[in-house]
Parts: sequence; structure tokens; C-alpha cells
Amino acid sequence: MTESNRQIPAPVFPHGAAPLRSLTVTMAVMCYLACLAIGALVLINQAASAWTQGIAREVTVQIRQHSGTDMEQQVAKAVAILKATPGVVASEALDKSAGAKLLEPWLGKVPLDDLPVPRLIRVTINEASPPDFTALEKRLAAQVPVASLDTHRRWQAELSRMADALSLLAVFVLGLISLASVMLVVFAARAVLESNRSTVEVLALMGAENRFISRQNDRQFLATGLIAGFAGLVAGLMTFAGLYFLGGASADSMTEAGRSLVFAPAAVMLRVMGALLLVPIAATLIALWTSRITLSRMLRTFA
Amino acid sequence: MREGGKVIELSSVALRYGTGPEILREVNLTMQQGDLRFLTGASGAGKSSLLRLLFLALKPANGSAKLFGQNVSSLRPSELPHLRRRLGVVFQDFRLLDHLSVFENVALPLRAMGQKPEAYAHDVMDLLDWVGLKGRSADRPDTLSGGEKQRAAIARAVVTKPELILADEPTGNVDPAMAKRLLRLFLELNRQGTTVLLATHDEQLIKQAHGKALHLEGGSLRAA
Repeated sequence: MTESNRQIPAPVFPHGAAPLRSLTVTMAVMCYLACLAIGALVLINQAASAWTQGIAREVTVQIRQHSGTDMEQQVAKAVAILKATPGVVASEALDKSAGAKLLEPWLGKVPLDDLPVPRLIRVTINEASPPDFTALEKRLAAQVPVASLDTHRRWQAELSRMADALSLLAVFVLGLISLASVMLVVFAARAVLESNRSTVEVLALMGAENRFISRQNDRQFLATGLIAGFAGLVAGLMTFAGLYFLGGASADSMTEAGRSLVFAPAAVMLRVMGALLLVPIAATLIALWTSRITLSRMLRTFA
Repeated sequence: MREGGKVIELSSVALRYGTGPEILREVNLTMQQGDLRFLTGASGAGKSSLLRLLFLALKPANGSAKLFGQNVSSLRPSELPHLRRRLGVVFQDFRLLDHLSVFENVALPLRAMGQKPEAYAHDVMDLLDWVGLKGRSADRPDTLSGGEKQRAAIARAVVTKPELILADEPTGNVDPAMAKRLLRLFLELNRQGTTVLLATHDEQLIKQAHGKALHLEGGSLRAA
């Protein structure tokens, strides 16, 4: 016996056959796209939740200038009402210069002393137990008629709508990728098995049980599914990492999205990784399932 | 063995591919355990089709075909592997798997039966030695000559010590000396009780074996 004969027997189905290589590459690409879609979905949900939380934590009270009223007195009155309102954690009246700064992007650096620039009060609320905004609005209207309350609800609703639309789009894209992946894997798995038809026939004619042939077949598709799945997963993670590393630290770009995914807190990362790990598992199961059905049909032709 | 040692029992068998014309018609053939027969006939006479029927790759369109007393038309799929393991088949086109070594090709039927390499490695090497391929055990079939492939295919067919050997032109690609040697292998297996049916064009081979020949012509079988 030679040394080579003492080794573990070679796989009955050739692992490096051309159709199998095509299947591996196809599956890896589809897994990569699925990872991108899942990653995008997670990012959108995370970002939307962060934005809406930030907006929900604060409201603004605006005190308009009105002839015959003392602005400082009106501000102090409004702050006092806010402090006495249950659910308000803090209220801070911004000075004139802060208001001018907010207008700078539109008006430029011009003296605003002659303009009726309103004063703003930043109000931090208890998210768990927010104040009764209707009652607060009524109290302010009664005691400080020049005050108006902006709860940012319109913005919050707009953001939620946009986040929901983006999430839906990502889910739709993910669905399309999944459908295309399944179809491609089914097609490619059939091609692989068709290329192995003569091997299957020889095995069947020499008395191999379907169980034995199935096991040999499972091995090649299991290996293919796992290799392709993890290749797609690694490529997906590298893309998110690349977006961060190559794009600099600009917070208003996709680099921030990449950063938040790659360097997310452990709990978030585990959730994301858990979702992404489903991709290679699903790919492997689809490949196995398809190949088993195709093989069992093929074996029936030799019975 | 059941049915008084009848290994092959064909009665008025007809065979056709799909809805095509009959390839074989009214074929009657009985072989007892330990029989040796040669199957002759011109190319296209149906020799390979008859062998395909016998190694359970085809089912008869009409008539009764029994192997080891079992009617092949009424076999359940789960019964096929067990019956096929009692056969050793040498295919005309060898059907060696090119991605496996010669050793692994020859050992494949044993592996398919669930045997471990350590259990069969020695016997397989002995067999390869006998057919003159020991030095090429680690080589791939696509590097072998036609004669070497044929010997590897024969070694694979006999490695399980089958009760019936069906060989399609088993000496078609070897020189006369090797043909004689391979014939001796079949005769030795036959002497030990194995039933052998060889399809061949080689009249010399039949004379050397003093065997009985059956002639296929126009889809019908008759004693030569």
C-alpha cells in the first residue's frame, strides 16, 4: 500500500469541478449582496431610532417679540411655568446670541439688534413620563401669549416615515436578493448534479445505497454553501469596515454608517452578526435542500 | 441461492428504449450458478442492451426477467442495491471516475458497501498487483492507456467477489498476452463458482476458454 492510499478516501464527487466552482462564486456574490442589504436594514433602523429619540427628548418654547411686552420678563415667566410642569426635567433659556447663531446660515453675520428675533427656551423632558403638552400649551397661551410650544412632532413623524420607507426598501431589496439567490442556487445545484450524473449512475449500478450517495452529495454542497456563505459574510463586513476607513471621519456620510456597524456596542454587534450569520446558514440549507431533491429525482431514474 | 441455482432466467424478454423499436425480442436465456457464457454478435445487435438489462439499468418491456430468482420488474427501489451488489460489471466504456486514483476507483464498490480503507486496502493492492497495475495505484485514470483502464475496470468489477460477472468487451483494448491473462482471471473466478457472461467479438478468446457462445442477431438470441 502506498502512502496516498492510507489517507482519508478522496470525495466521491469532485470538489473542484467547474460547475461547482461557478456555484460557489454565484452563492458568495449573492450572500455578499444579502449581507449588504441586512447591514443597511440594521443601520437604517439604528439611525432612525437614534434620530427620533434625540428629537423626542427635547421640545422648544419660542417667545416672540411684541411691542409693549418685556421680553426678559416673558422668558422668565415661561421658564417658571415649565419648571413647575411635571415631566419637564430641565429648561434653559438661550440668550440672544444663540438665536442669532441659528439664523446665521440664512442671514449671514449681520447685526440683528433691530430685527424681532425670537428667544428660545430649550426644554428637556422625561421620555418615560412626558408632560401633558396640550395642558402646557394652554397654560403658556394664558399666561405668556407671545409664547409658542414646538414639540417637533411633525419632524419626528417625517423622520419616522422616511425611516419606515427606507426599511421597507431594504426589506424589499433583501427579498429580491433572496429570491434571485434561491433561483440561482437551484439552477446551479442542478447543473452540478447533472455534471455528476455518470458518477451517480456508476455508484447506483455498483450497489451503493441512496443513503451513501446522498451523504457524499451532502458533503460537497455543505462545503460549498459554507465556503460561499462565509466568503460573502467576510466581504460584506470588509465593505462596511472599508466605508469607515476609506471615507474618513465625516459624520454625515456612509462612513458613519460603517463605523456604527463595525464599531457598534457589543450587544448591537451581536444582534447584527446574528442576522448576518443567517446568510451562510440559509445559503447552505438552500444548496443542500435543492441538491437533495435533484439527487433523489435522478436516483429514481436508475431504479 | 434460490430457484435451484438459477442465476439468470430470461423468458420471452423484449426490450425497447422509450417508445422506440424493440432492441431485443423473445430472448430466452438461463444460466446456472457456475456457468460461463460468451455473448457474440455484430455491433448494434443488442449485446450491450442485454447486459444493461442484466445489470439492472433497464427493465424489460415484455416477458419475465429473473436474477437470482427475483423478478427484476417487480423489485422495489430499496431492493436494488442489495441485488446489484451480487453483480460485478465491466462497462465497455470503463466508467472510471477520473478524479479518483486507480486504487480509489477499484476500492469504490467496497467503500459504497460501508467498508473502511484499513479493511480493504490490502486486498485491493493484491488485486491491482494481479492485473499489473500496482505501480499505478496512485495515478488518475486519465493518465492510463486503454488497456490499463480496462484492467482497472475489471479489478473494480471483481473486487467484491460477485456471484455474477457481466463484462462488455473486457479484452477489447488489451494485447493478446494481457487478454489471455484477464481470461485466466475470469476462468479462475468461474472455477470458484462465479457465473460469468462475457460479451465479446474475440473468437480466439472463446476458443481458448472452450466456452459456450450465444449469438445475438436482429434482437434475437440463439446458441452459436
